[in-house]
Amino acid sequence: MARAVRRRKTRVGMVLAIGLLVGACAQTIAFNKSAEFTPSSPSPRILLMPADIELSELSAAGIAFPKAEWTTAAIDNVGTAIEGFMASRNATLIAYQAPPAASPEAYLQNQIIKLHGAVGNAVLAHKFGPANALPTMADKFDYTLGEGVRALAGDRAIAEYALFVYLRDSYASGERAAVMIFGLLLGVAVPGGLQIGFASLVDLESGDIVWFNRLVNPTGDLRTPDPARKTIENLLADFPL
Amino acid sequence: MTRLAPIVALALLVSACATAALDDGPDVTPGEQPPPASVEADFWMITDAAEARIRDSGRRVMDPAINAYVRRVVCAIAGPYCGDIRVYIIRVPDFNASMMPNGAMQVWTGLLLRARNEAEFAYVIGHEIGHYLRRHTLKRMVDLRTKTDALVFVQLAIGAAGGSPLAGNLVQLLAMASLSAYSRDQERESDAVGFRLLVDAGYDPYQAAPIWRRLIVEARAADEDQRSIFFASHPAPEERAETLERLAEEIRAEGDAFEARYLEAILPLRAGLFRDELRSRRFDRLQVVLDHHFEAAAKLGELHYIQGELYRLRGGDGDEALAIAAYRRALNLDGAPPETHRDLGLMLMRKQQSGEALGHLRAYLAATPEAEDRAMVRSYMARLE
Repeated sequence: MARAVRRRKTRVGMVLAIGLLVGACAQTIAFNKSAEFTPSSPSPRILLMPADIELSELSAAGIAFPKAEWTTAAIDNVGTAIEGFMASRNATLIAYQAPPAASPEAYLQNQIIKLHGAVGNAVLAHKFGPANALPTMADKFDYTLGEGVRALAGDRAIAEYALFVYLRDSYASGERAAVMIFGLLLGVAVPGGLQIGFASLVDLESGDIVWFNRLVNPTGDLRTPDPARKTIENLLADFPL
Repeated sequence: MTRLAPIVALALLVSACATAALDDGPDVTPGEQPPPASVEADFWMITDAAEARIRDSGRRVMDPAINAYVRRVVCAIAGPYCGDIRVYIIRVPDFNASMMPNGAMQVWTGLLLRARNEAEFAYVIGHEIGHYLRRHTLKRMVDLRTKTDALVFVQLAIGAAGGSPLAGNLVQLLAMASLSAYSRDQERESDAVGFRLLVDAGYDPYQAAPIWRRLIVEARAADEDQRSIFFASHPAPEERAETLERLAEEIRAEGDAFEARYLEAILPLRAGLFRDELRSRRFDRLQVVLDHHFEAAAKLGELHYIQGELYRLRGGDGDEALAIAAYRRALNLDGAPPETHRDLGLMLMRKQQSGEALGHLRAYLAATPEAEDRAMVRSYMARLE
């Protein structure tokens, strides 16, 4: 019995490993709410939400320890890269201005940002990988944050869409690199750093996620501008606007 | 697997040796910011993110009066550190307070309900500030890295044997109680700091120990194993209480417990906090908490109503009669909420005492004409009429 379970685990592990490899080769997998995307205005305005980014260093044991300095650099690099990307598109980027701290507006808007995080994680959990696929979502991509998102654009309706970016990037420390080499000698694959993330475009009228893309990348470096630009180009590869 | 055992044992020994001594760094200074590109700055980054989630949490208590009161107590205890500490009161029916390295403090409402006076509450706050001043979280994190790194060869051996090596995210690991908890030595150190802050702020030093004594009573009432998550990481509560009692004897300082003003501060919230406790359905524990509120005897009608609710929700043999008696006592005393009439009315309705039931339901709607469940209550009344 125990052996059977063990064997099944190994097989699941292999499937996962292959999945990760394929993900690495393919870089991204995108979803669109509808095949034909028609922007709600000829030159739509996109509200760029504060990017949720965290960079960390893998300890020898493989625990991701967050690094503030790297994260700050990455936030700058990603912001610049997104601006550069949008400059070539038929869209105007508008930076999100947080309402005064502790105001009711700030409370409401932060709830929407948190809701997006929850829905984004649900998309990641259920749309990528067959193990957690939902039968009712098999042939469609139908996720929404609801009309409450209108609060993000405010009374003046400053934008038609909002773009959310989430990135986690880890790098092997010197000790981790040594363990990886040692593991190689023993025939044990010790994972190093990994870049994962997603971007989603939300219709600020309906709250629907109209486009969603996930990135898995075993290389890449958000700490320096050029590789960060490449990551963003991958992440936004088939951006619908 | 047997060949692995010696390696595991050796690695555990190594990790234990590497971390046996607590690093004695300087205390946090008022207004201190972490130096850029430091391990401390790294932890501030994740705690700032965690604080942002707490700030907008739906569980946060926003009532200005209780926030102002708790802030006053925190500042009395924290002294020069007052400006560095941000307090968030969170609705959780459990005894706890915690503090992050960036100065964000959480106070759970279960603590507000369990402290008997301001000095008891202030002592717990002082204890948490002790963790903050002594940089315990940072030391824990560094310790975690050292310990897990020492185990890396065990991981490789497990990997070579076909298992999957440990990997994870720090935040996920922190969620595991065994890794996030402070060490017993750190708890003892914080107890000492908390006690000193309590005395310095002019509170009665004899108020530090009793809250631990009552926690023991609460745990015993529930017949819970002392090795619960809480007690596993903390020194035995008896030992803590004894140490604090000894410290109080030694110092012989005068001070006030401020029972009246503490009660006055929490009284407007108390019924709601008891409702949260009732929802967690740990009736034996709740009875201990309720009993200490009966001793203080403020707004007895409210307390007898909660007692009635405890019996009704517990629903054991004879609890119905006990609940009815408690509701009736509540209505004869000051502070019974309008719901007393509703819950008593519904209970009497089930016992076919229609006339009296109808009277109580009427009284409920008269007191709260806009009650959310008014349509439901009216339909019951129509059936009784």
